[in-house]
Amino acid sequence: MSVMTRDIHEQAAVPQPTQHGKPGGFLRHTNIFTGVITGLVLAIITYAIGSKLVPWGTQNATFQQVGYQALIAATYVAWVIGFMAGIGAFAGPIRWVLGHDLTHADAEYMAGKGQGKFRYWKYTTDHKVVGIQYLIMTLVLFGLGGFLAMLIRTELGITWAEVFTPNFYNSMIGTHGIVMIIAMIIVISGPLGNFIMPLMIGARDMAFPRLNALSFWLLFAAVPPLVSNLLLGGIRDGWTVYEPLGSQSPVGMIGYQICIIVFAFSTGIASVNLITTAFTMRARGMSWNRVPIFVVGILSAAIMGLVWFPMFQYSQILALSDRMLATSFFNPLMGGSVWLYENLFWLLGHPEVYVVIIPGTAALIELMTVFLRKPLFSYKMAIAGFVGVTGISSIVWVHHMYMTGWAPSAGYPFMLSTELISIPFGFLVLVMLGTMWRGKPWTRLPMMAVYAVIWNKIIGGITGVYLSDVPVDQYMHGSMFVVAHFHFMLMGAGLFAAIGAIAYWFPKMTGRMLNERIASIGFWVAFFAFQLTFMSMFVAGLQGMPRRVLQFDNAFNVSNWLSTIGAYCIGIGMVIFLFAVITSWRNGKPAPANPWGAKTLEWQTSTPVPLENFPVLPVVTSDPYGYGVPDPYDSVEKKMAEADQPVGAGAR
Amino acid sequence: MSLTNAPEVDQPEEPTNRPAPSYRIREWLSRPYARHFLVLFIIFTVVIMPAAWLVLHFMNQSGAPASAIMTDIETTIFVFTFVSAPLMAVALAILMYSLLGRDWGGRVHGEEPPMQESPAIRTNSLGVILWITATSLLAGFLVIWGLVELASITAGSYGSVPTNQQPSAVKPIDINVTGAQWVWNFQYPDQQGLQSDTLVVPNNTPLYFNVTSVDVIHSFWVVELGIKIDANPGAVTNIGVTPNKLGTFNIRCAELCGMHHAYMQTKIQVVSQADFDNWVRVMGGAKTS
Amino acid sequence: MSAAVESPRSATTGEPVATVARRNRLGIWLCIISDATGTVALLISYVYLWSLNVNNQWAPPKNAFADWWPFWAIVAGIVMSTALIWWGIAGIAKGHKGRLAGAAVLASLILIATLVGQIVQLSTFPFGPSDGAYASATFWLCLATAFHLSLLGLLVLAISLRTAKGLITTDNHSHARLVAMYMTWVCISAALGALVATTMLASPNTQMPLFGTFTG
Repeated sequence: MSVMTRDIHEQAAVPQPTQHGKPGGFLRHTNIFTGVITGLVLAIITYAIGSKLVPWGTQNATFQQVGYQALIAATYVAWVIGFMAGIGAFAGPIRWVLGHDLTHADAEYMAGKGQGKFRYWKYTTDHKVVGIQYLIMTLVLFGLGGFLAMLIRTELGITWAEVFTPNFYNSMIGTHGIVMIIAMIIVISGPLGNFIMPLMIGARDMAFPRLNALSFWLLFAAVPPLVSNLLLGGIRDGWTVYEPLGSQSPVGMIGYQICIIVFAFSTGIASVNLITTAFTMRARGMSWNRVPIFVVGILSAAIMGLVWFPMFQYSQILALSDRMLATSFFNPLMGGSVWLYENLFWLLGHPEVYVVIIPGTAALIELMTVFLRKPLFSYKMAIAGFVGVTGISSIVWVHHMYMTGWAPSAGYPFMLSTELISIPFGFLVLVMLGTMWRGKPWTRLPMMAVYAVIWNKIIGGITGVYLSDVPVDQYMHGSMFVVAHFHFMLMGAGLFAAIGAIAYWFPKMTGRMLNERIASIGFWVAFFAFQLTFMSMFVAGLQGMPRRVLQFDNAFNVSNWLSTIGAYCIGIGMVIFLFAVITSWRNGKPAPANPWGAKTLEWQTSTPVPLENFPVLPVVTSDPYGYGVPDPYDSVEKKMAEADQPVGAGAR
Repeated sequence: MSLTNAPEVDQPEEPTNRPAPSYRIREWLSRPYARHFLVLFIIFTVVIMPAAWLVLHFMNQSGAPASAIMTDIETTIFVFTFVSAPLMAVALAILMYSLLGRDWGGRVHGEEPPMQESPAIRTNSLGVILWITATSLLAGFLVIWGLVELASITAGSYGSVPTNQQPSAVKPIDINVTGAQWVWNFQYPDQQGLQSDTLVVPNNTPLYFNVTSVDVIHSFWVVELGIKIDANPGAVTNIGVTPNKLGTFNIRCAELCGMHHAYMQTKIQVVSQADFDNWVRVMGGAKTS
Repeated sequence: MSAAVESPRSATTGEPVATVARRNRLGIWLCIISDATGTVALLISYVYLWSLNVNNQWAPPKNAFADWWPFWAIVAGIVMSTALIWWGIAGIAKGHKGRLAGAAVLASLILIATLVGQIVQLSTFPFGPSDGAYASATFWLCLATAFHLSLLGLLVLAISLRTAKGLITTDNHSHARLVAMYMTWVCISAALGALVATTMLASPNTQMPLFGTFTG
């Protein structure tokens, strides 16, 4: 799109408040290490003092020591508060309350000016830094989740023995699930929503830079409580941690609950930031019909997350309350209902899967235009697709509860809404196929990911059609068929899309070109292994294998052996891809500003991107899809039509 | 030669000047890629359809279908696969042609961005309308089929209407199912409260299950009969089915319920009426009729 | 290049304060939406458990439901402090800085008193949190209000300090408006909680199956 220049503000000329101390104030002394130390120290102190005060003897419905639960919960909370204090998160609010407002120099310090690589270890507000921080965190979470997946498949592959105890196995699948879900929620909105989106709309930063840093470090603080669950007896209840089974787990469950409560705040804040940025910080001239479609996808996911995450958060708050305060929200003996838990959970649980898949789809749609050198096919249908999915996603959640017996007649309306949502989702597929139609593909890795993802979407989609039918779900629910279906959607269409998106924006984010030969080898090994793993899993499900079991009838042995072999190969492929990422990042070829010849704004600024993003803010005069040449068939049609017309007829 | 004065600016063509509609279709079909695409589309549609049989093959490996509900489920899967095949085939055909076809220019690989050669198509009203129509028809069909089928199996399995209010020629057998960590317990209230941990039932007789749990959520899944309902603590849920095949089938727990969830299994034996009466007598309950 | 400095500008980014204020207003709206979902989650919990009466354990022992008036007194306290802040904002918009400063101080005192009242209500219920579903749900509705009150106390304190320091002025009082917007939402949230907790007491479901049995 064409870009005109506009003068930047003379920021130094604005009257400044009093500079309190050196620029950055308290944040000059804080970083991840001070955060971790403060968090640990506060947690240890809390545990030490608390264990002297805890009232032993009060028992809850499952005869667990309520006092001890409270102590562990307090310790986790102390970790979170201590960490946030130690990294300097409270400095901003305290300064605001006291009226010590930030100066321009403060803001520049907080954005990382003059700190070199150290700014990645601190409470830095620059959206590019936060984006990289999210990227690293995502890779770590995938590594952890992937490692657990290898252990799980080992157990399922060794069909003649129990490798792990049942309780540990149940904890592993639960931890694998929630770690992967968290990683998938953030994989595109975190690194790319933060780093790329402001650039793409021609802004200098996000709407709320300090909240940006806050959302990342809250996520960082939330992860140790979750992971520590494996050391404290585990979450023996799957990633959905249904009550009342959850209350039978030892104190490790509290780590899960605290993690989700904190993560919900992190996601909520991030959503507020993304939505406000997209609405209020677009460059001049970027009206809503010129916005890159990636922004629309990020916006949709952020809206769904913002609106529904508190439901999940409250399901965990109330479960924690049942555990610690002996309330009875989910304890049927004392008036609670398991269905309340399931509803609260799935009210987020369903929009969440769209939060996972929509950003990846939007990223692929965006990059397809670049690699086919074709305009986006039917921008309006793409918008309609995102809007439709966002809206209808709120009214389909009961399809996860068809078999609960909660409301047997609810099967009818929710089957209707579930089928209905396939229509706007289909619009997105239309846009992808239509863009691909008659386009000449430049078969680099980001484009190849599109093919892989559409294939996986087809399989995931048809199996989703089966599951949406209540009678068929009567057979399939709770079996490995469901597990294979959601892996095809969340991993097959979600993760592989994320890999494509990261490969696409890698040059802009890291300043280097990704070693595509090695990355592609890893990608395709993982892709074909993925087919083996999860197609065999469909078979296991069809044969009647339930999910979340570590031992099973011999009838399912072959499917599980094949899945395990496939899973190991996925692991190998992913490691190869990671190797490509790491080596390219460290000493890959330096990337030019616009290696793909793309027209969106982020590629019109230099690489590495300067602190202020654009020397002058761009002004936009058209959408970013001005690729391609006039359709040769159009002129053929024209000639043939004109040949039929009388002499002198108006030109078309 | 026409005597009409042509307008100077763009205006809708007069009807007499518009080419016949079939001309547009012929023109489109004259393009090589259009014919190749249609051929691929037909091939993929035909190739996908046998997947339906494959799916059923795996489902039936352990003896299914053993009830009308399970047969219904299998028919549904069959039909859904068939009707979804065309749309899947469209996507696959486009994927394949994009990667391997020649009339769109073929693939480009290389370090530098390729030249701009693709046609700048921003939309195609006919294509969009066809797609919306096809997907809506498909979704509509799936929904209506599903709603009708759900109503029929609910009627056939008595839904949530208690047994004593069912109009039925054959009196259903009431069975109370209790899930506990980690066993299933069955109680036959009409057979003088007979208790058992395997389910023995007579063939071709409606069964009505009342299901609950005494601790955590379990899920009562009679695999080859195609029924499943959660066993919730603090609530009673219901489901019914009529077995129509003799044999021994599987009951598995389908909701993670703790340490031995994987082992929470038992069997259902569908036997003749005479064998059932024998079993009841041996277990200490009264004859059914 | 614009040299007009009549419109105040943000010290950190140099943008007109009005632009930043609009952005922040959208941010607060979004926070309110998220907060609202949380409130809805608690309301759903209350109403759903009330309608089910699982195992006949909805009502507290001896049917000792909480009194209605403390709920509404607390709502009144929040409403009063919110009204005061809006009144103060109207004043500063006209140029009376002192009105907002005074209103903020008074509002924070009322909020503290209300918070104390909420804590007293929580600790003097004729039941404990472990006394069934009504007790659990009511307890949490009040805990959520207490949390809101603490947050509001801090926010209003900040407004009064900043007004005293001259950071909230006639030209630039957007922060006060944002806090007032959020306070208005808290009024609604507390009122909804009070509404269910004072009108939906005895459960309508008297035919529930008892735990572990098949009757009903």
